[in-house]
Amino acid sequence: MIHASAIDRFLNTFGSWALALLWGLPLAFAIWTAIHPAEFEANFELLAPLTTVNFVKAWEAAPFARYFLNTFILVTLILACQFFLGTLAAFAFARFQFPGRGILFGLVLLQLLVMPDILIVENYQTMRFFNLVDTIPAIALPYIASGFGIFLLRQTFMTVPKELDEAARLEGASTLGLLWRVYVPLAKPTYLAYGLVSVSHHWNNFLWPLIITNSVETRPVTVGLSVFASTDSGTEWSVINAATLMTSAPLLIGFLLFQRQFVQSFMRAGIK
Amino acid sequence: MFISPIKRTLGAAAIAMCASTAAFAEDVELQFYFPVAVGGAAADTIQALTDEYVANNPSVKIDAVYAGSYQDTVAKVLTAARGGDAPQLSVILSVDMFTLLDEDLILPFDDFATTAEDKEWLNGFYPSFMENSRTGGKTYGIPFQRSTPVLYWNKEAFKEAGLDPNTPPATWEEMVSMGKKLVKKNASGEVERWGVRIPSSGFPYWLFQGLSTQNDVILANNDGNKTNFDDPKVVEALQYLVDLSGKYGVMAPGIIEWGSTPKAFFEGQTAMMWTTTGNLTNVRKNAPFDFGVGMLPANKRRGAPTGGGNFYMFKGSTDAELKAAFDFIKWITGPEQSAKWTIATGYVAPRPATWETDAMKAYTADFPPALVARDQLEYAVAELSTYENQRITRIFNDALEAAITGKKTPEEALKEAQQKADAILKAYR
Repeated sequence: MIHASAIDRFLNTFGSWALALLWGLPLAFAIWTAIHPAEFEANFELLAPLTTVNFVKAWEAAPFARYFLNTFILVTLILACQFFLGTLAAFAFARFQFPGRGILFGLVLLQLLVMPDILIVENYQTMRFFNLVDTIPAIALPYIASGFGIFLLRQTFMTVPKELDEAARLEGASTLGLLWRVYVPLAKPTYLAYGLVSVSHHWNNFLWPLIITNSVETRPVTVGLSVFASTDSGTEWSVINAATLMTSAPLLIGFLLFQRQFVQSFMRAGIK
Repeated sequence: MFISPIKRTLGAAAIAMCASTAAFAEDVELQFYFPVAVGGAAADTIQALTDEYVANNPSVKIDAVYAGSYQDTVAKVLTAARGGDAPQLSVILSVDMFTLLDEDLILPFDDFATTAEDKEWLNGFYPSFMENSRTGGKTYGIPFQRSTPVLYWNKEAFKEAGLDPNTPPATWEEMVSMGKKLVKKNASGEVERWGVRIPSSGFPYWLFQGLSTQNDVILANNDGNKTNFDDPKVVEALQYLVDLSGKYGVMAPGIIEWGSTPKAFFEGQTAMMWTTTGNLTNVRKNAPFDFGVGMLPANKRRGAPTGGGNFYMFKGSTDAELKAAFDFIKWITGPEQSAKWTIATGYVAPRPATWETDAMKAYTADFPPALVARDQLEYAVAELSTYENQRITRIFNDALEAAITGKKTPEEALKEAQQKADAILKAYR
């Protein structure tokens, strides 16, 4: 059986490398084209001259400094609200008995089935009613009550041992104290995993922010990135790739730095 | 009953005063959505032109909103309009006219062009651009960022192949015979340079419309409710396109990428390419060899489609706002402004008057290829545009792709496409 496990290991290693290559190639191509002059987009000469001119061009094509700030405010706002609402809702669904609980939770789950794009017109009307068109909260509002977040946190809270819950109650913890001191700390890996998914999703979101905003002061980086989609005049891959790297850099760097924690948190969140 | 002349004058003055208060004294704020489909600083040019107008008309404020690609822009406009918040004006693809009419969102310009001067302005555009702007005797779109495909050729490659570097192919036969001479193979028989490149990815119908027009057939009627996809002449045109890579071997087989075509031209992988005039500035800047720009070759006649975006005005605003929007559109399509826009982007100036300005004369004297697109307009026709435009062009594109990749014969593919299109357009007849 030693043979079998050796083959197994080989297949595993081979598979991981193949996947890693597949995933890494577009990124490698993006980096190659971004740091070389446009003539080398499709010619791979090892000693091709390096340049930063693509990044400069990309940066100057749109007010990216402001866009980065907007995106940062946007994802922070969404994540904070999602955590706050999700925690309270999940705790109620996990640990309280109240009439209509099943139906209400069913409604929350229903949200997972609805593509947000279908609701664009409806959401637009709501934002207009609140006079919020062209503001950052308008981009965030439709997403802050996240069915996925509530569901994920509820499942995690339900795995918290009853004994811990009761012990804390005996010590005189209030309901909110109990949530804050017992449930939230135990669900940390879930928060981290969900936070990652949420931030990367809203960092990349394009259509809704484009539709609901009109001015530089409110628009996120993805809208800036779309300036480079120049179908009528030929695609400048080197500049597009420089811009793409630039806008995704904060996420990439963040992920590489905290990679270990992310992977572990996903595993823990998954195992439970 | 007679009204004394004095009273009448007073009355007229009062009405005039009311009208002028409504039109000028009251501050209006306009929203103007625009897409960007060319590289460089197109958005900055629009902003600069808008600022210039506002500086000269202090009672009007215009919020020029960049709205993404053409598709994004139409999505944004439709959403805003359904949300009761339509912009006063927007630039959208000329072919979306029927979609916007179907949604009951746009207003005819004829209602606003009341003075003789306005009417003259409205009639001052190239007729081939107006074909996509008019239906049922009314004008719904004002040409602004318009283009048309032309032929680019590599003069050095022509010399190398023993051809006259200053004469591009004038007919389909010449394109094939010249193409055969231009194909260059390496020692192992692989093609290093193709004769011609007609991109077919994404929106193959557009360049194909060049071929079908040259074969003297139109793809859809003026009412936008009937297509001619299975006309024998259309089949013949598609057969020619398929044969370019099959029978004649002058074009790479399979789907040819639109986006990488200029690049392939610069790198000498093809000696000729068909692409939009929007690429003029790009080619001028990046081609490392001497190049020429010519009209597309002819078959039964010369021909090319037009493309690009028009101005539209939307329902749901006050008369004062719409009047101001109309005035702005009139201004920005005026000769001087339009010249600035054309020189900055490469789009074809849509009015003869623009080509008469000093700025345009200096530009074309310095760069004569810019004139080719204008001269070709005489032979140009409306871009394929129907009701349910997105679905119909999708059907047609799929048919073209099936024929190009060899999955179906041109005749089969087009017959099927016509049936599908009929099923959809029946409702609009």
